[in-house]
Amino acid sequence: MDPIALQAGYDLLGDGRPETLWLGIGTLLMLIGTFYFIVKGWGVTDKEAREYYSITILVPGIASAAYLSMFFGIGLTEVTVAGEVLDIYYARYADWLFTTPLLLLDLALLAKVDRVSIGTLVGVDALMIVTGLIGALSHTPLARYSWWLFSTICMIVVLYFLATSLRAAAKERGPEVASTFNTLTALVLVLWTAYPILWIIGTEGAGVVGLGIETLLFMVLDVTAKVGFGFILLRSRAILGDTEAPEPSAGAEASAAD
Amino acid sequence: MTDTPTEQPPVMNTRSVVGLAACAVIALVGIFLIPTLQEPSGGLNVRFWTMAALELLAMGGVVYFVLNLHEEPE
Repeated sequence: MDPIALQAGYDLLGDGRPETLWLGIGTLLMLIGTFYFIVKGWGVTDKEAREYYSITILVPGIASAAYLSMFFGIGLTEVTVAGEVLDIYYARYADWLFTTPLLLLDLALLAKVDRVSIGTLVGVDALMIVTGLIGALSHTPLARYSWWLFSTICMIVVLYFLATSLRAAAKERGPEVASTFNTLTALVLVLWTAYPILWIIGTEGAGVVGLGIETLLFMVLDVTAKVGFGFILLRSRAILGDTEAPEPSAGAEASAAD
Repeated sequence: MTDTPTEQPPVMNTRSVVGLAACAVIALVGIFLIPTLQEPSGGLNVRFWTMAALELLAMGGVVYFVLNLHEEPE
């Protein structure tokens, strides 16, 4: 299959990068998500809700900066692999290193697990991204695929932990929390599983998919995993503390999230 | 974490709020710093490890400050 046939996009900056269309759209969507969460969270007084808003605003906020850097070609480097030069958008890894542990922190707070569990979850997740970055910067296919495998195993550990320990803890907090947690975990399981698949078929792996399509798909995954995740979380009544009366902003639409 | 019967609203920990803002700045620096660190003598790994360290620092800081966002009632 010719990778060129699977290219897509539009060169917005005139620098020979058609994927700038998707990077520009990604920047805008992340910014819209950030401002939406800021407006929605303005004036929230509930203790637990404030924690969720703090995390959920930072996630698309930093992701929008990473997308902007990739849009302008700042977050881009070249790596030679077996004599072929690959364009690597390393700013993705900076974004993921900061944001994916925070998404897990949201879920850990929802399940109300102890700090040791939070540390373990965040640590394995960080290892997953760092080893992915090492793979992306490696110069031989063997090294790249080995690091990809290591990173994917870390991801499986994280997802297993979410689907077992954290899910059980969330269930104990009542049906509202359990329902929101299950929805978010299902979203994470599906979306996060797609990342290593896209990596292995994309330009950093086997090269079946061209950079344009790869960038488009990563953008869709990123926006859904960050803004979509935050949208579901912050609409739920489950984020309010046990003793707090429901607020109009968070409680009125709770039934729609069920 | 136990809730006392008093109805006082939770007090934000100013240090944590400032810490969160600082972590956001560090994360941004991590993303945009790399081009300024370009070195002629193969500084690729140094640059990427610097970026990774800054992002990890920022992320760890956010985790810490979110978990300590409010003053614990006496």
